[in-house]
Amino acid sequence: MNIGLYLQLLVIGLSMGMIYAILAMGIVLLVRAVGVLNFAQGELFMLGAYVCYALTVQLHMPIYVMLIVALLIFVLFGTLFMFAVYWPLRNSKWPATIIISTLGASVVLKEVVKLIWGSVPVVQPPIIKGVLVLWGNVRIEYQYLFIIGIGSLLITAVFLLFDKLFLGRAMQAAAQDSYAAQLLGIPTIVTTALTYIISASLVGVGGWLVSPLFLVSTSLGSFLLKGFAGMVIGGLGDVKGAVIGSLLVGVIESFATLFTATYKDAVVFSVLIIVLIVRPTGFFGQKISEKV
Amino acid sequence: MKLLSRRIWGEEKMLNIKNLCAFYGSIQALYDIDIEVQEGTIVCLIGANGAGKTSLLKSISGMVQHSGTIEWNGEDITNYNSVQIARRGIMHVPEGRHVFPGLTVEENLEVGTINWRGFFGKRRDADELTYVYDMFPRLKERRKQLSWSLSGGEQQMLAIGRALMGRPKILLLDEPSMGLAPLVIEELFEKIVAINKKGTPILMVEQNASMALEISDYAYVINQGSIEISGAAKDVACDDRVINAYLGVHAGQC
Repeated sequence: MNIGLYLQLLVIGLSMGMIYAILAMGIVLLVRAVGVLNFAQGELFMLGAYVCYALTVQLHMPIYVMLIVALLIFVLFGTLFMFAVYWPLRNSKWPATIIISTLGASVVLKEVVKLIWGSVPVVQPPIIKGVLVLWGNVRIEYQYLFIIGIGSLLITAVFLLFDKLFLGRAMQAAAQDSYAAQLLGIPTIVTTALTYIISASLVGVGGWLVSPLFLVSTSLGSFLLKGFAGMVIGGLGDVKGAVIGSLLVGVIESFATLFTATYKDAVVFSVLIIVLIVRPTGFFGQKISEKV
Repeated sequence: MKLLSRRIWGEEKMLNIKNLCAFYGSIQALYDIDIEVQEGTIVCLIGANGAGKTSLLKSISGMVQHSGTIEWNGEDITNYNSVQIARRGIMHVPEGRHVFPGLTVEENLEVGTINWRGFFGKRRDADELTYVYDMFPRLKERRKQLSWSLSGGEQQMLAIGRALMGRPKILLLDEPSMGLAPLVIEELFEKIVAINKKGTPILMVEQNASMALEISDYAYVINQGSIEISGAAKDVACDDRVINAYLGVHAGQC
């Protein structure tokens, strides 16, 4: 009986962890490429949920068409976001300028969404209906398994892009030293735009995945905080660390509900504080500080 | 006049810079610089800190706001951006090496092929890779190592090797000897001469004036943003002003 409960909690934890990992990965990619924390990442995530809601519920698109249209919209969002929020300020002498502009973007996105869809939360039906009954009353909703599947697929895809493809290597190079990259002939505007596109698409799909589990509302943006927590626990700036840290956050959060449902966020952030006290660089931070 | 210059310089001046001025915002760093690099030669620019040597190289590679004309094999490249310039085989090895710290040595070299390979081209860099590894065997020994862990000399070799991967038609070297031990500098300069012997012209900025003049064919002395002295390297090395300002006691060979 207990094992069944733990298994359920583990699956839920891992699936939420996947969502946080997708968010954290998007942030880390941008931090590495342009050196800026993107505070609007949570709003891009929320926007992803709203776009998919509009396409499936309001426009009645079948899932395959919806996915293609949604991805195109995310690519557009990523590009627009880069040219509106980052590009005009990239030569600013004050590094905080871009961070503030991302804060501004997050407010703008939230308000635009409220203008279009109103402030009443809307409901997105599950992407995959049904429940997997393992034994007795140990039941796992397919939606959670679906999130874990798609999440790991996306994360693996990003790793493969940066590890195996020459394009990814050039993007890594441009992220590590944009001056040298330009001298070699890497068009850094393209690599930066691609990073924004990948980041926006990742969180957009993340928003789609999570939307059936929660109501689609502007408060989805606050998921970013858990992504941040995962990223810091893993070690700021390291993609692998961000993924592992986020999965950890998801599992901790889900097992915290054994003791308290109301204060599960408090438990997560207490763990974050403890990690920061014991290991300020996060679990994978050391390697990075040597690297840079 | 044109005929005379052809007689002296040969038919092809590869790189021909006229009236170059460079600006950082409202501050002017270079004033009416004229410089030429001929096929197969080593040209060095010497001068004090802040004289504008690096700004000159940065203007050529399109990284600094500038005016005047920069001609490359007869093509006006003055207003090209860094990507277009790298595609023409003008490879700039920046001051302070700037290797990609989180990539391995071999990955660094692979990225150097971007200017002719593009993002999606096939990997056909075997020839370049053997050339670089023959030139710098130490890089081959360390090819799986992340490049931040290399020593300064090895990083400089990697930076030059990375530029060699881009099939350079000319190399712009900015302070290759900076921060290196004398023995390492000597080895490095031998390599630079060897690269030049294989047919790649080199435009080099150096603080180490005596060594730079020794291996160069032609030299320019920059002071406060303009050319003060120019001529064949051995003549420049015997110029009193150069001896006093840059060479000191080393100028025994005149």
